[in-house]
Amino acid sequence: MTARMLPHERIDEFVARLMQSAEVVAPRRVEVADVFYGPVSSPGEVAWDYGTAIEPLKRFLLPQRETMLRFSTDGGLKVEAECDERERVFLGVRCCDVTGLGVMDAMYGGDIPDPYYMSRRERSTVIALTCLEAPEETCFCVCCDAGPFLTEGYDQQWTSLPEGMLVEIGSERGEALARANEDLLAPAELDQIAARYRLAREAEKTFGDFKSYIAGAMAKLSMNEVDPEVWEQAAMRCTECGGCTYLCPTCSCFTVTDRMNGSEGVRERHWDACLNNCYAREASGHNPRPERSDRLRARFFHKISHQWAERNGRQACVGCGRCVVGCMAWAHMPAVTEGIRRGVMT
Amino acid sequence: MAEIATVCPYCGCGCGLYLHVRDGVVVGASPSRSHPVAEGRLCLKGWHAHEVVDNPGRLTRPLVRRGAELVEATWEEARSAVVAGLGKTLETDGPQAIGVLGSARCTNEDNYALVRFARGTLQTPNIDCSLRIQCVPDAPQPGEAWRAGVSTGQIAELDDADLVLLVGSDPTEEHPAVGARIYQGRQRGLRVVALSTRKHPLARLADLHLPVRPGGELRLIASLLHVVLAEQGMAGEGRPGAEDLRASVADMSPEVTAADTGVSADLVRQAAGLYLSSERAVIVYSAGLALSPQSGAAVQALHSLAVLGSGGSRRQVPVLSLLCRNNLQGCRDMGVAPDVLPGYASLGDDAAVQRFEQAWQCELARGVGLSAWEMPGQVRAMYVMGDDITRSIPDPEATLSALEALDFLVVQDIFMSPAASVAHVVLPAASFAEQDGTWTNLERRVQRTRRAVSPPGEAREDWRIIADVSRAMGKPFPYEGPQQIFEEISDLLPIYAGVFYPPLAVNGGIRWATPEARDAGGQAEVMPVPPPAEALEAAASGLRASDQYPLLLAADPTLRPWDGEVMVSQTLTVAGEFTVLTKDYPDGMLCLNPEDAKRFQVRGGRPVRVVSPKGECQMQVRVTDEAPPGVALVPHHQATRLGIMEISTDQAGGRPVLAPTPISVGPAE
Ligand code: SF4
Repeated sequence: MTARMLPHERIDEFVARLMQSAEVVAPRRVEVADVFYGPVSSPGEVAWDYGTAIEPLKRFLLPQRETMLRFSTDGGLKVEAECDERERVFLGVRCCDVTGLGVMDAMYGGDIPDPYYMSRRERSTVIALTCLEAPEETCFCVCCDAGPFLTEGYDQQWTSLPEGMLVEIGSERGEALARANEDLLAPAELDQIAARYRLAREAEKTFGDFKSYIAGAMAKLSMNEVDPEVWEQAAMRCTECGGCTYLCPTCSCFTVTDRMNGSEGVRERHWDACLNNCYAREASGHNPRPERSDRLRARFFHKISHQWAERNGRQACVGCGRCVVGCMAWAHMPAVTEGIRRGVMT
Repeated sequence: MAEIATVCPYCGCGCGLYLHVRDGVVVGASPSRSHPVAEGRLCLKGWHAHEVVDNPGRLTRPLVRRGAELVEATWEEARSAVVAGLGKTLETDGPQAIGVLGSARCTNEDNYALVRFARGTLQTPNIDCSLRIQCVPDAPQPGEAWRAGVSTGQIAELDDADLVLLVGSDPTEEHPAVGARIYQGRQRGLRVVALSTRKHPLARLADLHLPVRPGGELRLIASLLHVVLAEQGMAGEGRPGAEDLRASVADMSPEVTAADTGVSADLVRQAAGLYLSSERAVIVYSAGLALSPQSGAAVQALHSLAVLGSGGSRRQVPVLSLLCRNNLQGCRDMGVAPDVLPGYASLGDDAAVQRFEQAWQCELARGVGLSAWEMPGQVRAMYVMGDDITRSIPDPEATLSALEALDFLVVQDIFMSPAASVAHVVLPAASFAEQDGTWTNLERRVQRTRRAVSPPGEAREDWRIIADVSRAMGKPFPYEGPQQIFEEISDLLPIYAGVFYPPLAVNGGIRWATPEARDAGGQAEVMPVPPPAEALEAAASGLRASDQYPLLLAADPTLRPWDGEVMVSQTLTVAGEFTVLTKDYPDGMLCLNPEDAKRFQVRGGRPVRVVSPKGECQMQVRVTDEAPPGVALVPHHQATRLGIMEISTDQAGGRPVLAPTPISVGPAE
């Protein structure tokens, strides 16, 4: 492992340098007590001691609403694509959210790359921040191999040690960033690297009762052995608010709509959710997944079946716990995997 | 990207949400975790709230009618047209010939300014909001300090409740933030007792479901009171009014009421037993209780049950009155009603009237005015601010014709509503995301809504439009902004005394209380109200199914309540979710139990002919065991235009009610 040390007193300077050439998106407190990842206007704004952000990074790579192109029909069709070419550094990102990016990359950078997503993704640098203890009661990344420390998927991974941030390098981009700021960094000592591994083991022990039985559910789902009654019961609890999908770091459904104003138009992409009744509904009124139970089954299959894990490189739940926070009822990932395991939803 | 903390503009829960703004455009919405109602959750409507803001359907310029067409005009032209139109009616027919409608979609400041405009500037007592037709009635209580229909408790009390009595409410559909707490509470043992005709998801998961016949709600609650008072001898605690209450329900044993309510005596006793033994019960009701002409009395009876208390300590049980719209509570508080002044001050209270006259520097129209449903046929001119009158009032076509026949109609709104399409002047208003102000949620929580972006085109805040018109009519308002209006509200309305203009939306604002409750350090002492004997009797003699009309049809306000609503049906991506009825059940969704579907040989999705003593119509069938055998259900907002339902009058408050009506069902022609 290549690692450096960034002394605490030099962190602000490091961040200030990042801000000179990129939009730095970091956890920051909004209003009183809520935390969002968002562009910071000064290094002091970064909330290093936060729990988890209300939302993952998704909004910055796949906005809830984005303009794809503008067109006009005056004197023949004219089309002009919009592309976000901002350089971004995602700083202080929780490991679960970093892992989520990998799954999104498989979706949007796979066989048919999405230029909108990829244009942003290729211009981003990801600096993960490890969790020295479970940040929230609802966290279950330990069940998903997505935290509290990572071994891959980041450009740099920072761990807060008494003497400063241990900066692990995970990619060429991460290494280049370190090189460019070598004057602020020192080589990491062996005992500092050892401390990181000790802290990782200790952190894992702080995760509470909130378990998600992903592996068991995965086996049953992939073999089509889930009792259909479980989906019926989950459907009775789900209120179709869409919250779990909007908050999920790896949910990627969208819809495209054209908005016309005279002869001028805009094509926009908006977040949508496969759980919504009308998501798959066809113009004829036919709906291939007419019942909520069908839609729930499809969503969980997409999230945690072997079939999809193979395509994505891993199963798609990263244990960030946001579906637990955001669920309007009791049909989030841990509730459903528990239901699958026991054959009945509580 | 900036996150602006504000409040969801849809249901009465008032969840705190953030609007994401980039380059002056609202590009998203997400929940606040620190907000005491939202706690990190939003329902589908909240998640898409941003889509109504920058929406191609928005009104952006004033419109003035020229013949058959509405044409764009400047604000000056539109205002002159308004002043001339209203002035003419004032001159020829007097102020009584003008009706004014306020809105539960608008802020407290907008509604307060409108009341001042109606009772002060125009001198008309005809001010109301049509939404109260399809929502829980608010009924005065003895002592006037409190009104039934106002929540005594708060939503967070569900978090440590051990029992919830869910009366006529389907919070999953209507009030998801309340539903969420119940679903989550079940995980730690919260018991659910549901009293509702429809077997909605929470009724299905409930520990006890009392499937009450439509119209039987009052007698069912009376039988609960009977068991609690007569059989458990609970009135001996010197609660004022309890003896009268006991006498009033002496004959309401569950054995007697079973025939009318359709609920067995055994189930009633079990429910009463659970209630009595519960240490931390919460009572929740919604518009689902407003199905019958006796719903005013039913609401009072429920509040009385709450006052008697439960558990060993007989602690007064908190009540949540789930109002259907984000600011319906505030709209009522501001005096948007024909029979009270702002803050529920009585029209007969000279001191209160003087307070307002002094502040507004004019005489007040003191009379009791016409209600929203009386206005269209009885006035000559109307001023409608964000009120969906054609959706609320039974028989929307007749309402629209009456509006069309007015000498003068002004509508100010954010979208082209049906009423706006027949108006003489249409004024474009700012949406929730484009103005500062306050909203009061169903727990009386006064919260800030905040300006995240500028209004589109020339749209303006409602209060500003009204103030401008009033100035043009020679009665200027001194307000410079919503904060100033709010300060006047808290000066003049004793219930808002001590509520300062909340600085933020995220902190959940401040809950108002009556002066009595404030003095008592918390909950108001509410007097139990004995259900009137006539109401109990009338509830037993409601219309029944017969051989000729073997099913009882009820208009259910809890069934897909948001479908077709003006704002959600304008959300770009999820409009489909909220227009399913229009697409799949264009004539009306008739929910039938599988047994009945078999009995009358009808199939799901197919049109059927429905006949009642009043007329006949066509509807599409949905076969579902949510409807109990013998009962057919149709969403309330579709039922208003069927023309086959009996319209009767709520004994408390006089609002028109689509009463349960016997029908027969047969093949469509
Ligand atoms: S529950 Fe009500 S207030 Fe909360 S997000 Fe949904 S509609 Fe808005």
